Amino acid sequence: MDMNFTVKNYVILIMFIITGVCVQAQNEISGNVTDEKGVPLPGVSVIEENTSNGTVTDFDGNFRLEVNSLDSQIVFSSIGFETEKISIPADQVINVSLKLDMQQLSEVVVVGYGNVQRKDLTGSVSTLNTEKVEDIPANSIERVLKGRVAGLQISTPSQDPGAGATVRIRGGSSLRGSNSPLIVVDGFPLGDAGNLKQINPADIESVDVLKDASASAIYGSRGANGVIIITTKRAKEGKTTVRIQQQSSVSYFNSEVDLWRDPVLLAQINNESRINGGFQPLYIGAENSTGVYYPSVSELQSGEWPYFTRWDDIVFRDAPISNNTTLSVNSGTDKTSFNLSANYYTDMGVYKDDDYSKAGYNLRVEHDLFEDFKIRFSNILSKGNRDSNSGLAYWRNPIFPVYDENGDYFLVGTNDYFHPVAISDNRLDKTKTTDVITSLALEYDIFDALKLTSRFNYKYGEYINDQFFPNIYTQAGDFNNGAAYINNWQSHNYVTETFANYDETFGDHTIGSTAGFTYEKYLQRNSSLGAFDFVNETLQNENLDAGNPELNQVSNGKIETELVSGIFRLNYGYLDRYLATFTGRVDGSSKFGKNNKWAFFPSGALSWKIHEENFLKDSKSIDQLKLRLSYGISGNQGISPYQTLSRYGVSQYYDNGSWVTAIGPGYEVGRAGQGGIEVLWGGIPNPDLKWETTSQYDIGLDMAFFEERLSLTFDYYKKHTKDLLRERILTPSSSYDRIWVNNGEITNEGVELSVNANLINKDDFSLTSNLIFFKNENEVIDLGGVAESGLTVDPNTGMQFEYSGVSLEQFRQYPNILAVGQPVNVFYGYKTDGIIQDLQEGIDAGLDGDLAQPGEFKYVDINGDGVINLDDRTIIGDPNPDFNLSLGLNLNYHNFDFSVFFSGSFGQDVINTQRFNQPSNLPYRWTLDNTTNDYPRLRDGRQTYFSDWWVEDGSFVRVQNLTAGYTLPFDGSFINNARVYINANNLYTFTDFEGYDPEVGTDGIYWGGYPRLRQITLGLDLTF
Amino acid sequence: MKYRYKIGLLFIFLGIISCDLEEEPYGFYSEDNFYQTEADAIAAVNYAYDALTYLEYSRAIFFLGDLATDEIFPKNDEGIDVQNLNNWQVSSFPTNRILTNFFKYAYIAINRSNAVLENVPGANYEENFQNQIIGEAYFLRAWNYFNLVRAFGNVPIHKNVVETLDQTAAPLSENLDEIYDLIISDCQQAIELLEVNQRLGRADKVAAQALLAKVYLQIASAKENGVSLYTEMDKDVNSMYSLAEQTAAQVLEGQSVYGFEDDLLDIYDVEMPLGRENIFLLSMDRSGTIEGDYSKISKLFIPYIDGATIYLQNPNGTYTPSHDGWSVFNTQTEFYNSFNDNDKRKTELIVDSVYNAQGELSATYPGAIVYPFSRKYIDPNFIGDKTSTKPFLLRYSDVALIYAEAAGPTPQAYEFVNYIRNRAGLDDLDPGLNTDDFRAAVLHERKWELAWEGNRLYDLRRFNIVTETVSEASGLSSEEANFYPLPQREIDLNPSL
Repeated sequence: MDMNFTVKNYVILIMFIITGVCVQAQNEISGNVTDEKGVPLPGVSVIEENTSNGTVTDFDGNFRLEVNSLDSQIVFSSIGFETEKISIPADQVINVSLKLDMQQLSEVVVVGYGNVQRKDLTGSVSTLNTEKVEDIPANSIERVLKGRVAGLQISTPSQDPGAGATVRIRGGSSLRGSNSPLIVVDGFPLGDAGNLKQINPADIESVDVLKDASASAIYGSRGANGVIIITTKRAKEGKTTVRIQQQSSVSYFNSEVDLWRDPVLLAQINNESRINGGFQPLYIGAENSTGVYYPSVSELQSGEWPYFTRWDDIVFRDAPISNNTTLSVNSGTDKTSFNLSANYYTDMGVYKDDDYSKAGYNLRVEHDLFEDFKIRFSNILSKGNRDSNSGLAYWRNPIFPVYDENGDYFLVGTNDYFHPVAISDNRLDKTKTTDVITSLALEYDIFDALKLTSRFNYKYGEYINDQFFPNIYTQAGDFNNGAAYINNWQSHNYVTETFANYDETFGDHTIGSTAGFTYEKYLQRNSSLGAFDFVNETLQNENLDAGNPELNQVSNGKIETELVSGIFRLNYGYLDRYLATFTGRVDGSSKFGKNNKWAFFPSGALSWKIHEENFLKDSKSIDQLKLRLSYGISGNQGISPYQTLSRYGVSQYYDNGSWVTAIGPGYEVGRAGQGGIEVLWGGIPNPDLKWETTSQYDIGLDMAFFEERLSLTFDYYKKHTKDLLRERILTPSSSYDRIWVNNGEITNEGVELSVNANLINKDDFSLTSNLIFFKNENEVIDLGGVAESGLTVDPNTGMQFEYSGVSLEQFRQYPNILAVGQPVNVFYGYKTDGIIQDLQEGIDAGLDGDLAQPGEFKYVDINGDGVINLDDRTIIGDPNPDFNLSLGLNLNYHNFDFSVFFSGSFGQDVINTQRFNQPSNLPYRWTLDNTTNDYPRLRDGRQTYFSDWWVEDGSFVRVQNLTAGYTLPFDGSFINNARVYINANNLYTFTDFEGYDPEVGTDGIYWGGYPRLRQITLGLDLTF
Repeated sequence: MKYRYKIGLLFIFLGIISCDLEEEPYGFYSEDNFYQTEADAIAAVNYAYDALTYLEYSRAIFFLGDLATDEIFPKNDEGIDVQNLNNWQVSSFPTNRILTNFFKYAYIAINRSNAVLENVPGANYEENFQNQIIGEAYFLRAWNYFNLVRAFGNVPIHKNVVETLDQTAAPLSENLDEIYDLIISDCQQAIELLEVNQRLGRADKVAAQALLAKVYLQIASAKENGVSLYTEMDKDVNSMYSLAEQTAAQVLEGQSVYGFEDDLLDIYDVEMPLGRENIFLLSMDRSGTIEGDYSKISKLFIPYIDGATIYLQNPNGTYTPSHDGWSVFNTQTEFYNSFNDNDKRKTELIVDSVYNAQGELSATYPGAIVYPFSRKYIDPNFIGDKTSTKPFLLRYSDVALIYAEAAGPTPQAYEFVNYIRNRAGLDDLDPGLNTDDFRAAVLHERKWELAWEGNRLYDLRRFNIVTETVSEASGLSSEEANFYPLPQREIDLNPSL
């Protein structure tokens, strides 16, 4: 029913009836639409204003439309062009040329609880239209954002199907809390960025990245890491369009897997290493201590030994295939419109039987209930399925067969938990996920300038993980005679938001303001069931009752948090030249101590549109010159809840011959010591615990020249984060070890530059480029007191530090430290000066025993005390890049399009843990015949110190993406648009790094693994 | 009308807001929702006992009591903290993790005991039940303060549960009298409140009496032998000896549950935790899921042989199986040689030969067995590394020797000592010794009888003979030898020090 049936419509209807059929023909209008250069524009939407009456232009730009009234205005719109509104002339013929949309300046930027035109923006916000990355198949949007936005650092160390990415905006500003930006989808704050798998990237219209505090402070206690705002595609008025996007990809390694192909060399190297280490060599044609027969070198040489297994061929797929299909339907009248899209995505892992698939839909409906009252509704469903079979031992010793003579798996002694086929055949690890995001919004235009919006958002997520670890072949299974688990997890996230936007112009003054409040509740529950000791393994985890009932394990948990906020923003403009923004957010969070429940996060920004000043207004070359200045405060509440409550521990005690539950003050909060055998106790509440506070200022400059053919954005920022959430050490006599406190400071400082150039701009030939440069430097300013925080003091420099990250087993050391005055995660270890060539050289270097022998590392005696010991360590590397640079080029020639995207990261150091254990490097070892200074001798059992020898320059430039496409010439009668393309992702990497790929996590540790995958995609994009 | 309806819709959304930001604890207990049922009180006192089982505390029984003495030395690839403790590297002691953890766990057990003492009396339990729970908590607090004072001397005193940041710092005791008064008073309370009730893993009246006797003797002999800090104590040596004698006598004669075990091997039979000797055992069982719940103490004492099951020959010709070990605690040769060759505590309780399943000799000392090892921690029903071997915290024979030492050369004292010697196959002690010689003889008896049971260091300390007995400690001042320094972390972080 049309609720909008106003008096006006009645009048029109009555006139319609009176004027009769003969009049009807007179109401037909026609015309032709071209661009500014007279080229016909097909597919332009032509609509009679305030009606559902409309059509589109044909391939020659012609249209014909019966209008209800000759008094109507006709609206011409097309993507990439400015919308024109034209009254019907007497001859009822409208020939119109549409102006190209000045994209940069008229672009709408989403800033949280409202939009603003880019030209009026005062804060630092980068926008990416996803059209640029549409050709790259991806499970989540984060993976394709790499290098696309200045200041947004994305790394993708995992190559598992469905894996996410690590996302940082302007560096990390927290040590123990989260460093991931907040991700907001259509106004709904979902949580940490990293793997937005719920949203099909093809449904995303644009991505806005709020970087400075002026922009992100509106998200208050969660804005400190920046905010990524995702806007999904909206329903549009106009005729029904159907779009099919199909991508089929094949992947393969971009380099050879580094494995032993010569068993003789393998045996020789291994024997040499063991002999040098004082051990019995293995390859001597005898059984070793665990009863495994190792052939002698001569048996291998003569070919007597019958086995050689290429495990990588057994473990890896030749060419994993992935598929991504999106089908969308979009239609609308002036009152109701909808957008429905469905997606099916499959991704094969590089390991056989390692799969990921996802299916989902996204429905968005908008309806004008009254002319001033709009309802928007959206519902997103996504179901994922992960069959995990990764981590198999492709590096297994090739001299062993897959099966023994009886056809059983050939195991290398007892406790062989690495047989890839045995594991692949018998292990179960499947995860099914369901995600639902639903949103209902009401928008009420109370009067022209004042709009009231109320939104209710709900997000549901769940996973069920089924696991079974078989006896014999897996450690967990062997210890327990089979281990089966069912792990359940679900979360509910409710957000209600109500806010008003008031926008009005009073003469030279414009005011835009937003005020409102939000309430969020997060609820998470999990449970885990474990059963062990199975008589028969065929059911895997299907019947946990079949395990030994005495060994059953159950656990469960729940997390509930609340956040109540008030938001406020005022934009003020004078003469469209001087702009000011003030935002404030008040947050009350349940996670924080009772003395600090509420926080206020203000920010302010000023902007001066210099180009609007008289002295520049008439400049032919300068279109925009805008200066921005902002300062603000935002927070990070990224710790787990219940840290501010007193908490008792639960344990088991053997009382009078049976196990009973024991409960009392103090609960286990962590482990320490070698092998984690020492328990750390916590449980005293800290009622003062609060958010981390980041204050940030930003100076920015936006420029556009030559009719916007060249535009440039520059930002300088400095972020200062204090009250870092950290654990303080307590006095041992308190009976507790740790308590969460706010101490510590860190700064991030950097510059960002992005340049867009429209180099060639002809009818059938255009070339655009965009260049992004950004640089971030961070520094740890304070970590709390030496004793309170348990800091170590470097004996040579007095530098205070603590170890961070993970301990590397091969060095028995934590390679990363957090050190006052240094960037986060710098490497701390020994320096080396080549390889010792003779014993005296070793002794002179301050070494003794095995470490002073020729062929050993020559560590440097940094403090000059004549001995090499722990005091000779210093900072030997920094995993943070000096700067990032990326360049995109887009070329259009007639119906062909071509784009290439380079992304580079420079100056970061990487710990190559594989530098002396691979077939590609071991043969270069030091020997008496090869007295190299590059590699040490082989020696099993060497205690290797972490030194700069393992640190390499990880700088790289990657041909991240390359696309070539062709748009087929259809007339628009049935198919409106058709494009085929080929896309290559991760095509080639230029680097001096010796491992497969220098792109590693933020700790700079390269773990080896397998080469990076290069992905080739064939794509088809059809619009009907 | 229409507008109201619209605005009403909006208010539906406005209504879904509550402003209660208080966190409700989910899935965990705190002082607010606990101490309500009897089961809560039992769970609370068990939590205090459970603190004793953690590796950092239960292994330290041997690291301090035996390793730092003339009994054993560690294998050479043990960690630096173990080596330093053995070698009396006193400058490293403030940061020694073993000592810091021992210190910490004593306070963890004290805090858990304090939680019981503070919360249980107010909770309206039945009187007998409440007496038992509180009595055990008093015992545990005394036990742990006694551990602290013997190891460190003056330490911070926490008499109340620590539940807030402000309560974490407590000042050092002014003198040893302050600590010992607390320990004595706690023991007396426990004796008052508890019944005689032998129960694995829990202490009773006799345990409290045994502890009190040990405390009195510690004060008496340490003061008599001129141990610093003790010499400044108000307490009178003779009255302490006589209190030790009287209290020990209550254990020896005031009850009928506990007594001597006639056969030495029965004392250490892991399947007989309720044997007559066992006044207070640390409760561990091989069915536990984490180390501490189960025990690997056997692995520390038994040497590595070849990874296979070993069989120990019993006096009756049968064999007892066991896993082999990690060779962590190597028996000092001199200590081994100090036993009389006929002493059954050597012939039956120290192993120098192991057999295979067929009863064939498979390894001997000297030879594949790198050191003769103690048989006190053997579990024939071991599951992998998991055993039910338990530290012997208070043993009837210990109390008998306490009595003898406190009483001096009385006929009754001789009787107890001689029983223990005869049981070990030795002759009676030389009659007619004077008091000093008699006490020295009892100390020797303690060395052999209580070997590897975590007593030796404290005995040497109260006799003020650490430096002359332990070669690694020679040259140290008696202050350095008799008290470990407070952990550096305590000094750095406790503002009340």
